[in-house]
Amino acid sequence: MTTPPTLAERLDRAVDELLGGAAPGVAAATAGLAQADRSLIDAAVSVRASLASSPVAPRFEARLGSRLSGMRASPWILRHPGRLIVTGAVGSAVGVGVTAYAVWRSARRSSGPAHRLLHR
Amino acid sequence: MSVERRGDPRATIDPDVSDVRAAQRDLAAFGALYRRYLDRVYGYCFYLLGDHHDAEDATERTFLAALGAIGRYRDEGASFRSWLFRIAHNQIANALRARGRHRATALNGVSEPALGGDPAGLVGQAEESRRLRRALDTLADDRRQVIILRFVDGLSAREIGVVLGRSPGAVRVLQHRALRDLAALLA
Repeated sequence: MTTPPTLAERLDRAVDELLGGAAPGVAAATAGLAQADRSLIDAAVSVRASLASSPVAPRFEARLGSRLSGMRASPWILRHPGRLIVTGAVGSAVGVGVTAYAVWRSARRSSGPAHRLLHR
Repeated sequence: MSVERRGDPRATIDPDVSDVRAAQRDLAAFGALYRRYLDRVYGYCFYLLGDHHDAEDATERTFLAALGAIGRYRDEGASFRSWLFRIAHNQIANALRARGRHRATALNGVSEPALGGDPAGLVGQAEESRRLRRALDTLADDRRQVIILRFVDGLSAREIGVVLGRSPGAVRVLQHRALRDLAALLA
C-alpha cells in the first residue's frame, strides 16, 4: 500500500512540469494540485519569469577557459611517470657529462704550463 | 536534467557520465563540461553573492577545483552536476565567510534579465521582477538557495539535497515553504 504524495511532493512534480515547459494549469492538474494551491503555482511562475540566468562576460569566459587549459598542461607529465623518469635521467646524464668535461678541460689547462716547466 | 529510472525514483541516469569519463581519461575533454555548466554555476554564484566580481571569483575557483578533482569523482548516486554545484556551494560559503557578512547587494539590485515585448509590458515585467526579488531577499538562506538551484539552475530536489546536504524530502518541504512565503508576499 502506497501513501498518497504530500503537498510538497505534488508541488515539486508541478514545478518539474513547469520547468519542462508545461502551462501552469496543465502543471497543476498533472501534479494533482487543488485549486486552493494555485497561488503556489503562480508564485513558481513568477520566480521562473523573474530569475533569468545571468550571462557570463565573454572576457571572463575566455580568461577562465585559458586558465583551465593551462592547468590541463601541467598534470600531463604526471599522467606519464615513465616520461618523467626518462626526462630526469637524460637531464642528469647531460649535467654530469658537461661537468666532467669542464673539470677535465680546466685541469688540462692548469697543468699544461707547470708540466712544461718541470721538463724544461 | 537527470532522468529518473522508472520504478526507482532514487536512482538517476547522469546525462554527463560519458563526458565525465572522457575528462577522467583526458583532461582536455573537461572543456565540454565547462561550456555546459559555466553559465549555470555563474548564475548560482551571482544570485547568492549579489556581485559580478565575487561571482566570477567563486566560479573560477569552482571550475579549477573541479578540474583538479575530476579524477577522483565517482558516480556513487550523486550526479556530476550536483557534485559540481556542491563545490560551488562551498566556494560561496568561503566567499561569504571571507566577506564577514551576507550578500554584498540585495537581489533587487541585480540587473534585469532581457525581456521582449511591448514597452508597457516590459515595464510591468520589470516591476514584477523587482517585487519578486525583494520578496526573495526576505526568505531564509536555505529556502532562497533551494529556489535558485531549482529555478535558475534546473536541479532536481534530489540533486539539491546533495548540494545542500539535505534529504530530497527536506528540499521539497523547503521549496514548498519558500513558494508559500513568496505567494503571501506577492499577494
